[in-house]
Amino acid sequence: MLAKLLVRRLLLGALTLLAISLVVFLTAEVLPGDIAARVLGRESTEQARQAFRERLNLDRPVQERYWLWIQGVVRGDFGQALTNDREVADIIAPRLRNTLVIGGVAFALYIPVTIVLASVAAIYRDRAPDALISVLTLIGLSVPEFVSGTVLLIVFAVIFPVFPVMSLLDQAETPLEALRTLALPAITLTTIMAVYAIRMLRDNLIEVLDSEYVRMATLKGLPRIRVILRHALPNAVVPALNVTALNLAYLIGGVVLVERVFSYPGLGSLLVDSILLRDVPVIEAVALLVSAIYVFANLFADAMAIVLNPRLRTR
Amino acid sequence: MTDPVTGRSESKPEPAVGLLTWLGRLRRLPPGALIGGCILLVYLFVALTGRFWAPYSPTKTGTGPPFAPPSREHLLGTDQLGRDVFSRVVHGTDEVLLLSLTSTLIAMLAGGLLGLLSGFLGGWFDELLMRLFDVMISIPLLVLALLVIAAAGPELSGNYFLLIGVIALVYTPRIARMVRAVAMDLVTREFVTAARTRGESAWSIAVRELLPNATGVLLVEFGVRAGYAPILIGSLGFLGFGARPPTPEWGLMISENRVAIVTAPVTVLAPAAALALLVIGLNSFTDGIARLLGRSAQRSP
Amino acid sequence: MAPAEGPGTPSALIEVDGLSVDYWTQDRWVNVVDSVTFSIAPGEAFGLVGESGCGKTTTAYGMLAYRRANSRIRQGQVRFGGKDLLKLADKDLQGIRGRQISIVPQNPTTALSPGIRVGSQVVETLRAHRWGAGPHERRQRALDLFRRVSLPAPDQIFEKYPHQLSGGQQQRVVIALALACDPQLVLLDEPTTGLDVTTQAQILNLLSVLRVEYNLAMLYVTHNLGVVAQICDRIGVMYAGRLVEVAPKRELFYRPRHAYTQGLIASVPRISTPSRRQALLLLGLLRRSELPAGCAFSPRCEFVEPACRVEKQHLEPVGAGHTVACRRWREVPAFAERLASHRQSLGAESEAGPVVASAPLLTVRDLQAAYTSQRTGLARSRKPNAVVAGLSFEIRASETYALVGESGSGKTTVARAISGLLPYVSGLLELEGGHDLLSPIAGRSQELLRSLQFVFQNPDASLNPRQRVTRIVGRPLEVFFRASGKELHRQVEQLLEDVQLDTGFGRRFPDELSGGERQRVALARALAASPSLLLCDEILSALDVSVQANILRLLVDLQSRRRIAYLFISHDLATVRSLAHHVGVLYAGTLCEKGTVDEVFSPPFHPYTDLLLSSVPEADPDQVMPALRSDVGLSAESRQSACPFAARCPWSLGEVCRRDDPPWRPVTETHAVHCHLPLDQLNNLHAVSRTTTPDPSS
Repeated sequence: MLAKLLVRRLLLGALTLLAISLVVFLTAEVLPGDIAARVLGRESTEQARQAFRERLNLDRPVQERYWLWIQGVVRGDFGQALTNDREVADIIAPRLRNTLVIGGVAFALYIPVTIVLASVAAIYRDRAPDALISVLTLIGLSVPEFVSGTVLLIVFAVIFPVFPVMSLLDQAETPLEALRTLALPAITLTTIMAVYAIRMLRDNLIEVLDSEYVRMATLKGLPRIRVILRHALPNAVVPALNVTALNLAYLIGGVVLVERVFSYPGLGSLLVDSILLRDVPVIEAVALLVSAIYVFANLFADAMAIVLNPRLRTR
Repeated sequence: MTDPVTGRSESKPEPAVGLLTWLGRLRRLPPGALIGGCILLVYLFVALTGRFWAPYSPTKTGTGPPFAPPSREHLLGTDQLGRDVFSRVVHGTDEVLLLSLTSTLIAMLAGGLLGLLSGFLGGWFDELLMRLFDVMISIPLLVLALLVIAAAGPELSGNYFLLIGVIALVYTPRIARMVRAVAMDLVTREFVTAARTRGESAWSIAVRELLPNATGVLLVEFGVRAGYAPILIGSLGFLGFGARPPTPEWGLMISENRVAIVTAPVTVLAPAAALALLVIGLNSFTDGIARLLGRSAQRSP
Repeated sequence: MAPAEGPGTPSALIEVDGLSVDYWTQDRWVNVVDSVTFSIAPGEAFGLVGESGCGKTTTAYGMLAYRRANSRIRQGQVRFGGKDLLKLADKDLQGIRGRQISIVPQNPTTALSPGIRVGSQVVETLRAHRWGAGPHERRQRALDLFRRVSLPAPDQIFEKYPHQLSGGQQQRVVIALALACDPQLVLLDEPTTGLDVTTQAQILNLLSVLRVEYNLAMLYVTHNLGVVAQICDRIGVMYAGRLVEVAPKRELFYRPRHAYTQGLIASVPRISTPSRRQALLLLGLLRRSELPAGCAFSPRCEFVEPACRVEKQHLEPVGAGHTVACRRWREVPAFAERLASHRQSLGAESEAGPVVASAPLLTVRDLQAAYTSQRTGLARSRKPNAVVAGLSFEIRASETYALVGESGSGKTTVARAISGLLPYVSGLLELEGGHDLLSPIAGRSQELLRSLQFVFQNPDASLNPRQRVTRIVGRPLEVFFRASGKELHRQVEQLLEDVQLDTGFGRRFPDELSGGERQRVALARALAASPSLLLCDEILSALDVSVQANILRLLVDLQSRRRIAYLFISHDLATVRSLAHHVGVLYAGTLCEKGTVDEVFSPPFHPYTDLLLSSVPEADPDQVMPALRSDVGLSAESRQSACPFAARCPWSLGEVCRRDDPPWRPVTETHAVHCHLPLDQLNNLHAVSRTTTPDPSS
């Protein structure tokens, strides 16, 4: 039963990814029309363009190109970058690693921050702590990440030079230095995700705390701790998981901006650069990769929800 | 909702509010909504009238020494080309507001219509549309926007129609999904069944019975999306995919003046504050309205 | 011996003294429970009755010192074991809750934690109160408890999650939970609401047995007077947060002294003493915004004096163990007197009977209806998953035909099939004049649509919350008669008057109306089309008893004045007895018995009818409820066997009943029973007779 559900989710995820690849491909290669002219510029000669087209198989029909690309992707071969002929996979790898690192750090910070603040807001609902958290999160989600990142940069890297101005992770020598370069962008990213999640988790927690079964557990004479840990929290975790998975979308979007603000060498800045340079294979690869991360994160959250919720598991 | 006295809390639908009761409640608006509303009014005023009383033209260079600090002639100083920052911020207002509201409105119309049809008709239309939208939603917002802009090519860069189109495009599937959920929920209510047994047409039911009950949700959704739109616009501008220089677009201004952030912080902080304050106003107003209507303004990506 | 009320009663197990609770709504404190004082002796069953919003549930939870979010206990004491529970620290309260006083809440599904197996939920209570020496002992105890509450296969149930159990089973688990640590007092909050009548009877039975066995004291909170008449020793009646009368059971039912109690008891329809024109002693509504400083009931009281509105009433002794909160109790006539004078004023029971026309208004033959279908093997055709099959009956003009059944019997399906809302309908379904009702709505003529109108169960959901009453009621007039403007308004006003709503109601929105008022609007809307047949699907179930009585009277009036026929769908046998002319008893999609209402409610019975009738607790303290065989509920197997009731039938003939379709055994021209058993056996099925019980006025 459980396995069947999970397998079905997995297949759905794979199918979604396939569809996404189609969208990415169409948007990146088909929509723009004549890529050759686009990349080489208006002044380029027809000859140069023709050579370019042949190099990239642009004269083949769309389906074939898509098929070739997909085959490559499955094998890990994303083609060659237009700007410097390197394997796209080689360009992406270190960037991916960097982005995962900063994403991971931000995520590690996000979990305790969200749980603590949402719990405080839920337990003291409608009173001062809750109102304060509400105002703070409102401001937090209203200030765009490139603004908050920039402000943090000014304050903590320029005025009080605690952290480096440019977060060049690759140049960090020791783990401590690495942490220093990561600190500001990670904090900015954490804030982006947390502000949405705190609001949602607070609402979920309140719903659970108000539920009849929590009331019943209290009236059975169970100690408060047990009521919260055994009856309340497990039921709030599942929606929290889903919230988190959804919030990854904000994280990914935020990554693009934050990497720019802090000059962090990750996937986000790679995407922006490759768009500016019109490096189509790189654009496709990054867009697909980023979406894949999102899709599978949501899949994981779904799977966890099924595992943790007996109602979905049994009949 | 739970009746506080009887404690009954089952499937009682949220009671809608008659107009007089509504107006009466305005007095008891949450403070956030009032503050937000005031902020928005100020921005609206600036957007509509700014061009008449801004001291300088936003694109005129050399009105003062570059990176001049704030003074009587230049309330917020000047940027690296000697342009008056205050005028630029003021002029940027109407663009942001126009772009945000227009794109969100278009998305609401398109998403609303598609969502309503989808939820009501069901069948293969619904399946197909929702699959397509699911895929679009699975690509993170900003990434999708960037992709489309990249596809549009460099000639169209900064084109307002493109920006409006992109934002409307990324919003439509999300709005459609929400409207569809609302439609599907409403359709199960018995007053809709009653209308069906009277032999009323699908169109009549959709307009007479469903729509008035969806306005609250739609209003809140509009507020939430419109509140995020300036951030999206600013982000695109910051990255260089929005308006072209010398347009006084706030995101662009922040990006342009970042280099001089130490020597002339106002050139960055002014547009940043303008953007942040606008969004705070929009969000707090939406939250307040949501609270009034008895809903929560959940923001899912 | 019933102890007197009041503080310091020596023999009381628990004393509630002046309990007052407020709720915070939007911007101010609203009083929900006001100075409630009563006590319960050890082993005594105390019933707390009242209609919705009277504060009985809040009182019950208050006794466990439970404070809901946004509520406060303004004052009062709850004395138990020498301590005031309201002043106890949390730690001490924990020791009492679940151990000495436990609670059985209203909805067992939401009371059990969804993610924890039910066995563990019982064991954790035991562990929290340090019951038992170890896990093994506790598990044994849990299994024991499950056995004691008649759960089948306790060791299997132990491992299950709540959602895998039926409603009845969940409630038994909750009862087992309540009994886990041998409490002295059990608080029960409407524990059988939401359960089928037959399941309810089993649970009530169980509770009676357990009470005696464990010498439990009980506080039984309910709106159902029939239940308290069966189970309780003493009863307290609450109105708008105050206790208005407390008395031993028989005293209360035969000699109630408070005007509200009298009205309430008169509102309850009886199976045994049916009347199409019940005495309506209780009129009007409780309006919280208009509560006077004095007696809360004064706006509705026949015997009110100016002083009543100003002075708060307190419980005064009236007789042995009988107290009343009314300063004029001596002037209020005895219950029997009021009933008698009311009947006199009504005059003869003149109402137009059903028109004995030659052709029936609605003809149903072999109706089969389904929501979904599935492929049959390789065939391209689909076989509908019939919810209802082989149904045949007729309704005549101006007559009320009742379809009675429990949940899952298919009664709503029948109504939907007739309205054309179901995709798969077959058989003969015809409205007089040859109108074929097998076609869905799209294929029906305006005339047909107009003559058949639907009224729904849930008054909250059946009116568009964004439309004013005038618009709601006027819509059918627009659609069917193209009425508009002044004419439309006039007709709407007339309709509102017909359903006894003041014309001022036209401008209101549904959220400004009470449940009963909304249902009247729904009726007005249906009547606007001038239908010949009204489909009423459980339209009274969501309403308070007194409101039900009023709407019932309205239905009877409307029928005689407008000559409308009703298809009245309900699970409430007593109401059906009062309203219907003909009855069909439905079980698992087939009719078991049909006939006139007098015929069906007296022997010979179909075994299911017998079970149903035996399960209904009458609001009559002298009625003895028969011991029922504890058994399973409606299950999937019932649809496989030819007679769906065979699995539950105590008189089943075994293989015959499962294999062969039972025949229809005619008793009279109108009465027939669908059973393999011969008529003489069906005649003697049950000891309980439903003939008239001693008239309280004698």
